[in-house]
Amino acid sequence: MNWLIKLVLFICIVPTVVLVYLIGFPKNLNRKKMIFGVRDNSKFHEGDAETKLEAIVSNHRREALIISAIVIAASVVMLFLPVTSVTELLWVLLVFATLLIAVPFGKGNTELKSLKKELGITRKGVVYTDLTSTSVVHALNLPWVVLPNAICLLVTVVAVLIDFGFIKVVDELPVEKYALTTMSLSLQFVAIIIIPLAIMMDNARNTVISKDSNINANYSRSKKKVWADIFVAMSWANTLFLIASLIALMLVNSETMIMVGTLVYIAIIMLVIGIGVANYKKIETRYERDTDLELLDDDDYWILGMFYYNPSDTRLNVEKRFGYGGTINIAHPAGMVITVLSIILLVGSIAFLIWSAFTGNLNV
Amino acid sequence: MIIRIDEYSDVPIYLQIRNQIVMGISSGELKAGEQLPTVRALALEIGINTMTVSKTYQLLKSEGYIMTDRKNGARVRKNIAQSGVISEENKTELRRIVSECRLAGVAKSELNKLIDEFYKG
Repeated sequence: MNWLIKLVLFICIVPTVVLVYLIGFPKNLNRKKMIFGVRDNSKFHEGDAETKLEAIVSNHRREALIISAIVIAASVVMLFLPVTSVTELLWVLLVFATLLIAVPFGKGNTELKSLKKELGITRKGVVYTDLTSTSVVHALNLPWVVLPNAICLLVTVVAVLIDFGFIKVVDELPVEKYALTTMSLSLQFVAIIIIPLAIMMDNARNTVISKDSNINANYSRSKKKVWADIFVAMSWANTLFLIASLIALMLVNSETMIMVGTLVYIAIIMLVIGIGVANYKKIETRYERDTDLELLDDDDYWILGMFYYNPSDTRLNVEKRFGYGGTINIAHPAGMVITVLSIILLVGSIAFLIWSAFTGNLNV
Repeated sequence: MIIRIDEYSDVPIYLQIRNQIVMGISSGELKAGEQLPTVRALALEIGINTMTVSKTYQLLKSEGYIMTDRKNGARVRKNIAQSGVISEENKTELRRIVSECRLAGVAKSELNKLIDEFYKG
């Protein structure tokens, strides 16, 4: 593991931690529409309840801040530690440690649900739907997502053909056999995921915040536009990085150059996500004053405010409550399959990495 | 037009949707000839079974409020048949509401005011 890989891990972990903290635990959280994944209620701001709410929010914000600071500090320290099998394992664990920031969120969610019960706030089960904007509000220009990913596919095919000797570009490839195929297929994998994700976000349910259909349509459209832009930018970044990497591999094969390229690629992805999140927050702030409907109280279907489990809801994807974007309804048959596969993948990869580190097979 | 579905109401969901569409047509929120969402899109949006929405549309169609065809989907009827009489079902419902209001001490003028307001749309 050289210093560049450590730097890549560092610039992946630190901005992620900062973003997760800023998104999940923002300032004046007790005044937001969603507090730890629980919908705000006027009863939370009356008498003693307000004090209790403030205590819950400040306690868990502090916990999240401490966890974030520890992870960031550990990343900085790790950057200067010599490379051993132990530090390699620690880096892997540090990546997974970023998930710990969600713990105070889950705790806050549980405590707020208890507060709701204490205050006698009952589940209303009211759903609003805007007939005017049903299925007509979209912001994704599909060709703009398909085009870069189609180019990516084309480049991948060319890379495979070069690797297998069907196309000759240079006399002798300065890289190991099948290096081009491995590189292009791994980026193609990202491209394959982007298209369905972009379509899924564009087809997400429209949020009804007002009695005015135009406000609802504009609100949903602007949120979908942010997602569409993120997916388009990510697709182009992915494709351009693949092309640049393949050229670099074929002509120079400089490990440093590839690593620098990777750093730039990750920085661009982080920047795209950062801009997207900033735009999303702007939209939320802009439309806060237009919200005149008491929205659906489905807090009880949100386990720890992060996992949606609602057997009576036939939708597969719903809007997230922790962070931005969408998540799946675990009670949906397809949602169950995705959840089980994700758990197997997560547990399997942690177990594999720990096993590899202990047996000395972890050679990044 | 905004539809409000109460999952815990005694009124079945298909009837809640039907009632609100009828009220929307009456008030002019849904205009004559206006396109309604497809069965699938509306079911996905509310998060209910497509059969429920299908039942609503079938009912609205049989009552003459909407028309459906394969090409254009569901639309509000341009000429809704006007019989000029209150159905027996509505008379019973109205009698129940008036009785409850009388028992609750609501003045007749208050009821008339509400009827005027709702009739105007």
